[in-house]
Amino acid sequence: MKISDTVVGAGFVGAGALIFTATLNYPSLETGHPGPSLFPRILAVLMVVFGGLLSVQGIRSRDATEEVAWLRLHRNAAFLNALFVLGGVLAYIFLVERLGFLIMGSLVIFVIMWRLQVSPLKALIVAILFSNGVYFLFAKVLRVPLPMLFRWW
Amino acid sequence: MIENVWTALTLLTSWKLLLTIAICSIYGLFIGAVPGLTATMAAALLVPFTFFMDPLPALVAIVTMEAMAIFAGDIPAALVRIPGTPSSAAYTDDSYELTKQGKAELVLGVDVVTSAIGGLMGAVILMTSAPLLAEVALTFTSFEYFWLAALGLSATVMIASASPLKAGLALLVGLFFSTVGLDITLGYPRFTFGSTELLNGVDFIPAMIGLFGVSEILRNMASAHLSYPITSVKAENIFHGVARTLWKYKANMARSGLIGTFIGILPGAGADIAAWIAYAAAKRFSKEPEKFGKGAIEPIVDAGTANNSCLAGDWVPALVFGIPGDSITAIVIGILFMKGLRPGPMIFQQQPQMIYAVYISFIIANILMVPFGYLAIKASSTMLKVPRNILMPAILVFCIVGSFAINNSLFDVGLMLAMGILGYFFEANGIPVAPIVLGIVLGPILEQNFMVSMIKTQWDLVQFFTRPAAAILAVLTILTWLTPVYPILFRRFVRSASPA
Repeated sequence: MKISDTVVGAGFVGAGALIFTATLNYPSLETGHPGPSLFPRILAVLMVVFGGLLSVQGIRSRDATEEVAWLRLHRNAAFLNALFVLGGVLAYIFLVERLGFLIMGSLVIFVIMWRLQVSPLKALIVAILFSNGVYFLFAKVLRVPLPMLFRWW
Repeated sequence: MIENVWTALTLLTSWKLLLTIAICSIYGLFIGAVPGLTATMAAALLVPFTFFMDPLPALVAIVTMEAMAIFAGDIPAALVRIPGTPSSAAYTDDSYELTKQGKAELVLGVDVVTSAIGGLMGAVILMTSAPLLAEVALTFTSFEYFWLAALGLSATVMIASASPLKAGLALLVGLFFSTVGLDITLGYPRFTFGSTELLNGVDFIPAMIGLFGVSEILRNMASAHLSYPITSVKAENIFHGVARTLWKYKANMARSGLIGTFIGILPGAGADIAAWIAYAAAKRFSKEPEKFGKGAIEPIVDAGTANNSCLAGDWVPALVFGIPGDSITAIVIGILFMKGLRPGPMIFQQQPQMIYAVYISFIIANILMVPFGYLAIKASSTMLKVPRNILMPAILVFCIVGSFAINNSLFDVGLMLAMGILGYFFEANGIPVAPIVLGIVLGPILEQNFMVSMIKTQWDLVQFFTRPAAAILAVLTILTWLTPVYPILFRRFVRSASPA
């Protein structure tokens, strides 16, 4: 996930410009002085300056980060593992209210463990035991209303 | 004072608190001993539980956990040459070289005892300096608080980071997050994009869990299936020869305890920096500097003392001024706000028994470190064998539920994920994550005190420099910004002073 400082710096310059633009319609104080926009604008300007400096630094040091490496990420096991984590959390967010915590929690643990080369039976046992443990701790002890499809205890 | 100490002791002897201390000790030792899991991550994962606790147990939980975790980071450093937390990185090579020479027991014994001594030194300095500073802080107005926040943020960027430019960018991102929600002057919604969840701002807890928990999990995905050869140790022997070693290096311990605590008091600098600076000082004054990095016990004594003494130092600015000393005390400040308490000098007057209880919990945690540390070393091979491909998915579910638990909102789980991706991307590109946290915590303090000062002085910037304390803090802030210039000036001075 390493990209060159030149590109990262340019990204910050863009982000700073966006933040500044977003504050253009903010109201002023009764005295005419800037109110809600002042602090974000200072941050935006600093972000543009610092981002620009980082880009210049990247160009000067002839940052040799290979941008084409991004095109080969689909062959990078660590990146694919990370995608499973992201997919797991997104699936949890969108499905937990339909399927409940116990199913979704177990599913997230099981799928990621399976991806990380844990044997399916071991992954299944750990997933069920751990999600039930978390359910007990948060739902029963701390009284957090975890979404539930069914309750068996 | 004695009455407060007595009340604090009474509070700390409740069975619930003792149980909290015991559980958090084990938790801290485990997280610290597992390579890849940091004390800050442990604190972030602890926050959802502190949400359901009273303020005192919540603070005691963090104190105990962090002390244990920083020590436990030494265990994998000695046994598998991987520091358990960044605070142990400075002396990992020395520890592992000694282990290869068959001295693992001595290294671990020195680690645990110097950690405890360092922690106790820091606690004593915290107990003596915090109330004095709180007296001074009572006279502070919005000008001084603005400069204090500015000084803390400047120190984070200029002193506590390898790349001030990248740390500055991370800080700006954190400060930007702090502006999301209703603004303090007109109550105008900023950067909320019509979302009601964002009206109260970026919630601190899911942000912490994402930045320190999820990003760590993503990072560990690259090596989740790896295992490493572990040197087994006889825990019974760990205290053999420790007393003689520590007596030989007693001056080193005293110096490093002071260095560590001072680094801790500096806003923004944490235990890892304290360890590196103590290591450098030890090498500078050592009779055998050539042995450093090749299996010397001296740097282990120095840096091991400094990183634990730093922890109590970190609490000084956090409790006295509400300015975090490091990312863990930033989390502590978030917890205090969550509990309706405002850290600052008034807390010393309004809740003295709680402050004394925090002091005493530092002492208890560091005394308990010796027996708990012994048990952790005894169980070290088991802890280091816990497979990461089972641990990481389990921690992920913990992160999800912890983020959800605060507001019972799936939006917070999404926020946690977004912060996790951001943290992972930043770390991968050499941009530190800790300044984001400090920005989120200090942003509102900085903006509020700036706007209040500007409005009450009718936008007269000169007033920021007219009060003596404000002027001193302003000068310190400006001197901090000039840090990169000092080496150049020093070189020029040396060149001009040396004969041609």
